[in-house]
Amino acid sequence: MSGEEEENAAELKIGDEFLKAKCLMNCEVSLILEHKYEQLRQTSEDPMNQVSQVFEKSLQYVKRFSRYKNPDAVRQVREILSRYQLAEFELCVLGNLCPETVEEAIAMVPSIKTKGRAHDDEAIEKMLNDLSLIKRFE
Amino acid sequence: MFLKVQLPWNVVIPAENLDAKGLMLQKAIVIRLMDEFATKKATKDLGYFLAVTTLDKVGEGKVRQNTGDVMFPVVFSGITFKLYRGEILEGVVHKVFKHGVLLRCGPVENICRIINICLRRINAFFLNDMPSKIEKDVVVRFIVIGTKWLEADREFQALVSLDGDYLGLIA
Repeated sequence: MSGEEEENAAELKIGDEFLKAKCLMNCEVSLILEHKYEQLRQTSEDPMNQVSQVFEKSLQYVKRFSRYKNPDAVRQVREILSRYQLAEFELCVLGNLCPETVEEAIAMVPSIKTKGRAHDDEAIEKMLNDLSLIKRFE
Repeated sequence: MFLKVQLPWNVVIPAENLDAKGLMLQKAIVIRLMDEFATKKATKDLGYFLAVTTLDKVGEGKVRQNTGDVMFPVVFSGITFKLYRGEILEGVVHKVFKHGVLLRCGPVENICRIINICLRRINAFFLNDMPSKIEKDVVVRFIVIGTKWLEADREFQALVSLDGDYLGLIA
């Protein structure tokens, strides 16, 4: 079905250009799209008519599936996850799904264990704890 | 997965939109970009185009001979959405039918999950041994098995699975 037989996000095989591209978490996209929508609202009476279907559906989706709403919290999440030598893609999947246990995190992002990097369970647990702290104080 | 991409583009501004003072140029370019995106909708490599975030560079405009329009080579940043094989995401069930369910995730509507035969279908939802049912408007976490780009409709379809640790119905 897929054109590139090699593509497999679970193993972080997603094409070199995308490994280096910046990925965005749902909560980050939510802030950006809401801001854009606000700008449109100020310049026209019917902003919904001005945006594409793609924009509208995506806005609905990210608003519903953002784990963090506060811009400071969103910034902190990115900052904390950035400390752990993750690829952009892995960082965003973790930020989107917010696994609660180390097993869940490995199930969501198998590549954090397979690439021979020093991501032991302790480090992953600490990372998840830091994330849940942000949520609690949001 | 939402991506932030930086792309070169050629924006053509019709002659009548050019302001004498040139102050509205950026705005005119952004508006043209967004219009072109809305019509183009998606590409195979980058996925669905959502929004233009910043205009990073605007080159020298070249006047086109016959029409008097001006073409500006620009570099801009924008957000796109693309599904990757092996990626795990959350989505909403929006249709239940005989052999499976259709999910909606971001701008993609045609995400299909073929239910295997050990689930029984009763009315408009699926049951398994666990006390939970997959029906319209529930949230599920899935893994992408494969994606397909449909050139004619300019959209993606995907086949996903709910089989796996920590996948399936999300309360």
